Amino acid sequence: MSEIVTIQGLQKNFGKLQALRDVNFTVNAGEVVGFIGPNGSGKSTTIRILLGIIKRDAGQAKIFGKDVWKDSLEIHKRISYVPGDVTLWGSLTGGEIIDLFLKLHGGGDKKKRDYLIKRFELDPKKKAKGYSKGNRQKVGLIAALSADSDLYIFDEPTSGLDPLMEAIFQEEVEKLKNAGKSILLSSHILSEVERLADKVVIIRQGEIVETGTLDELRHLTRSTVTLATEGDVTEIAAIDGVFDFQQKDNEATFSVDNQYLNDILARASKLGVKKFESVPPTLEDLFMRHYEG
Amino acid sequence: MNEKFARWSTLFFLSLKRDWKKIVFWVLGLGLFSAGFVPAFEEITKGQGLAAMFETLQNPAMIAMVGPTPAQSASEYTLGAMYSHEMLLFCALCAMIISVLHVVGHTRKEEDLGLTELVRSFQIGRQANSLAAMMQVLFINIVLALFVSGVLMSFGADAITVEGSLLFGASVGIAGILGGAIALVLAQIMPASSGATGASLGIIGLLYIIRAGTDVSNVDLSMINPLGWTYLTYPFVENNWVPLIIALIFIIIMMILAFTLEGARDMGAGYLPEREGRSHAKRSLLSVRGLFTKINKGVIISWLIAFVIMGAAYGSIYGDMQTFLSSNEMMQQMFTHAGISIEESFTGTIMMVMIGLVSILPIVIVNKLFAEESRMHLGQIIATKVTRGQLYWTNIGLAIVAGVVGIVVSVIGLGGTAIASVGDKLTMGMADFFAAGFNFLPSVLFFTGLAALALGWAPKLGKLVYVYLTYSFLLNYFGNILDLPEWFSKTAIQSWIPPMPIEEFDAFIFITITVISIVLLIIGYLGYKRRDLLA
Ligand SMILES: Nc1ncnc2c1ncn2[C@@H]1O[C@H](COP(=O)(O)OP(=O)(O)OP(=O)(O)O)[C@@H](O)[C@H]1O
Ligand SMILES: [Mg+2]
Repeated sequence: MSEIVTIQGLQKNFGKLQALRDVNFTVNAGEVVGFIGPNGSGKSTTIRILLGIIKRDAGQAKIFGKDVWKDSLEIHKRISYVPGDVTLWGSLTGGEIIDLFLKLHGGGDKKKRDYLIKRFELDPKKKAKGYSKGNRQKVGLIAALSADSDLYIFDEPTSGLDPLMEAIFQEEVEKLKNAGKSILLSSHILSEVERLADKVVIIRQGEIVETGTLDELRHLTRSTVTLATEGDVTEIAAIDGVFDFQQKDNEATFSVDNQYLNDILARASKLGVKKFESVPPTLEDLFMRHYEG
Repeated sequence: MNEKFARWSTLFFLSLKRDWKKIVFWVLGLGLFSAGFVPAFEEITKGQGLAAMFETLQNPAMIAMVGPTPAQSASEYTLGAMYSHEMLLFCALCAMIISVLHVVGHTRKEEDLGLTELVRSFQIGRQANSLAAMMQVLFINIVLALFVSGVLMSFGADAITVEGSLLFGASVGIAGILGGAIALVLAQIMPASSGATGASLGIIGLLYIIRAGTDVSNVDLSMINPLGWTYLTYPFVENNWVPLIIALIFIIIMMILAFTLEGARDMGAGYLPEREGRSHAKRSLLSVRGLFTKINKGVIISWLIAFVIMGAAYGSIYGDMQTFLSSNEMMQQMFTHAGISIEESFTGTIMMVMIGLVSILPIVIVNKLFAEESRMHLGQIIATKVTRGQLYWTNIGLAIVAGVVGIVVSVIGLGGTAIASVGDKLTMGMADFFAAGFNFLPSVLFFTGLAALALGWAPKLGKLVYVYLTYSFLLNYFGNILDLPEWFSKTAIQSWIPPMPIEEFDAFIFITITVISIVLLIIGYLGYKRRDLLA
């Protein structure tokens, strides 16, 4: 698998503030990487460095194997970017701005542009001044999605979109994914990340604290299990790795570290299992763990 | 007060508290500038100074710049008369401009930024904010007026009478309030805050230029000009309070108009209609140059129109010059003695002033790139194959072209009207006017270079270029009146350039300043290429 984005030991200071201390991750070809973390943890800063908008203080950052600062031009020919707060020139219409972005990018697919304008229900004749937050966001999205790129960088792209539009965005990203494009998606909407991402990177206070596929990450955390047995379920509580044990008659609900699941099943089968339900941790659970530190 | 203005006083005190530093700076700065030059003027009055100054200021170029004096003869021209003559119009203008910026900043700008939306969600009247802003301007200008009067009196000069001092202060104060009222009206009409500021300043500039013409041709006409109601009070000479009363009535009318307009419009909207736009971009927009031209178009066109009008207003004065000379023997002798015509002398002086103003346009355009950056407009552009160099040089190129066109239209305005109003008798041709104008091109490039330097290395300092421009402008402006030491006046870039046709063209200085400017542009680029952008 070839690496599209490679970041190693990335650091950035704003005056005294260490915005990025040590950022390492990769985005491979054809991969959708979810980039999540609390407010102010350094997601946008990392993305701005990738785009050559700001200069890193230390570390390596490469896209398509090229340095993001020195060879930004070469890189930019093959990427698209949507910021979380698309700001537009009030005196231009949405349609004009999309055309401008496409042209500056180096031409895009006109048919796809028109198709996306229809899909996102954008009025391209309206001056940008009159657009709502969500509509401004659509302008950025349409421009980025109709450009033909190899890497798409989205920084909270759906902020302000209604659920219907968000679903459309997700479908469009899935199409890109199926077409083998690489995507770096920073978002606070975890269901979005859960649905789209092959790999999740969690950043906290300028450091990457977790990287892996959703499955791998899930493995690191606890599932919620509901278990009903014929014998007395109480003894399960004593097993290592069981937490928050709550019992009602012979039915118990508890959370369990995934690596102990086997022990629990072994013990439960001796008691005679009547019901076993295991709910894997949501990204939200995972995330909370890291957010709360 | 009624529902609409409910709790305006809360907002009033809140913003006084928030702005107090700015207000102190405003009152002290403008107050001391307005009143503090009495000792310097006393220096000038020594010996034959007053009489000489009286004659100098009879020159139409001077009247066009500072206004007329009611003094009939040198003996009536006291220290007080000279002080109000040379200072009042200018101070009144400054007071107006600051008030405009304050009012728009506290009304329309807050609305554009979405602050008003938040404020209105509290128990605060819909128009309370505008009233509070206007009351603030009223309050600040009254304090300013009293301060100016007090400082004037404090020098204890004989000719600076108590009544004159009070009138001088009041004239400056009323000018400020007038500016605030004009701004409040335009804040309702224009679709955004930048438009409101631009239109208000534009109107004030227009009034200034119109009065330049009427002051020379017929002062009575200047009394129909709102700006005339401030400086035609003639403190220390006629002490005429009537214009201030007219101004007050005008202010009240403007405020009623503003509040009516505001009451009838939606928040965030203006009265100038929004048209439906295109669904596809025109080909001409689809490049960095196209985009920059489009977003600067309004500013460029407005300034160019202002330059033509300014040139035409000054140009119309040429027609009156000979009549003026024939009635003033002393001036006649002065010009014959100096071996140049009154028209040539006027052209040299006025060109320096006009091209100084033309320099504003390139600075505005260069600073616009940083304004775009701070509004986060560049992120998505930088992420395309557009380079920083493209952004920078396209912007600089546009600024320089606009500056050159600015010179062209000012020259055409001035020369065209001059030739039209004088006819064959004018010894100067269009080519002479062009030479006089383009003689100052290096100064325009120099200001562009300074702005570019700031853009590349310390974009927040871009506004300081305006400060330096104002400073040089004031030096040139007052350099004619005050006897400044050589080194001091040379701190203004224009002073290095000998004004044509009064003096000979100096190729060495022309080339040197041009080369320095180009170097500044390049240094600016080196900074722009490597600094962090906001996006
Ligand atoms: N230009 C700047 N100057 C100074 N500090 C900055 C600048 N840009 C970002 N920061 C700081 O760097 C830190 C990281 O910010 P960043 O915008 O990368 O966070 P984020 O992860 O994108 O947060 P959010 O989820 O809120 O978008 C924050 O503390 C922020 O205040
Ligand atoms: Mg962010």
